[in-house]
Amino acid sequence: MEKKRAAPPVADINVTPMVDVMLVLLIIFMVITPMLTKGQSVDKVKTKNPVTMQAADKEDAILISVTRNGSVFLSPGNLKLSGPDQLPERVRDLLTNRVDKTVYIVGDARARYSIVEDVVDNLRAAGVNEIGLITEEPHENKKPGAAQ
Amino acid sequence: MAMAVGGSRGGPRCDINMTPMIDILLVLLIIFMVITPLTPHGLEALAPEPPDKKNQPPPDQDRTVVIVIDKDKSMHINNEDTDMAKLGPRLEQIFKTRAERVVFVKGDPDLEYQTVAQAIDVAKGAQIDKVGLMTPKLEAGN
Repeated sequence: MEKKRAAPPVADINVTPMVDVMLVLLIIFMVITPMLTKGQSVDKVKTKNPVTMQAADKEDAILISVTRNGSVFLSPGNLKLSGPDQLPERVRDLLTNRVDKTVYIVGDARARYSIVEDVVDNLRAAGVNEIGLITEEPHENKKPGAAQ
Repeated sequence: MAMAVGGSRGGPRCDINMTPMIDILLVLLIIFMVITPLTPHGLEALAPEPPDKKNQPPPDQDRTVVIVIDKDKSMHINNEDTDMAKLGPRLEQIFKTRAERVVFVKGDPDLEYQTVAQAIDVAKGAQIDKVGLMTPKLEAGN
């Protein structure tokens, strides 16, 4: 009679729990990432000398997105406005009881400037003086104006 | 030895090789983690109030610098022709001796927004503190 031998010790690490945790983390990040972009997503202008605007990242920051086809969106809420002339009353409502009266314009690089001008005019009517033009910092240093 | 005997018998391994999968997962995880905290960047600009005609004397016209961008992307600093490449050095030259670094930017309505934004960017690069956006209604005085 041969003696029953115990199975040899397994020398591998059991990776299954680690894979489980990582998959869950991965899925969480994948779900969160698109939700983090506030306002309408547009192709921002690439600039060389922007400053960081931490305040534009806040939950209640007033962002006005101007898309390429001329639509104007107001965040928080990501409301589509029928025109910039709706801005003054809405922005005035949002600005009551606020210390920082900066409003951020997220303009598509190829939006017509007349729409942006119109937005600025209407913001001025709402009592806004300080405007932040949200742009993108390019990773490679492109020369502005190189594109014809 | 017992180990050697058991090991030599071998047989086909029936577990999946997890290492490549874990590699890919880790890389994806790191990519998504890096994308998440991108803070927004931007250019500060001002929407100037029209001058109050009754109380205030008009600002000194000689010292006001206005960058005008035409429909064909040609630029003027006040009445002097310039372009995107020469704008920065010229602004630095103008503001070398000045304490109040303010310019106004006026763009043609038919322009793309990026042209104006890039001009503002160049001005910011030339250490201009305040950029005012000239708009049609402002010029009309409302």
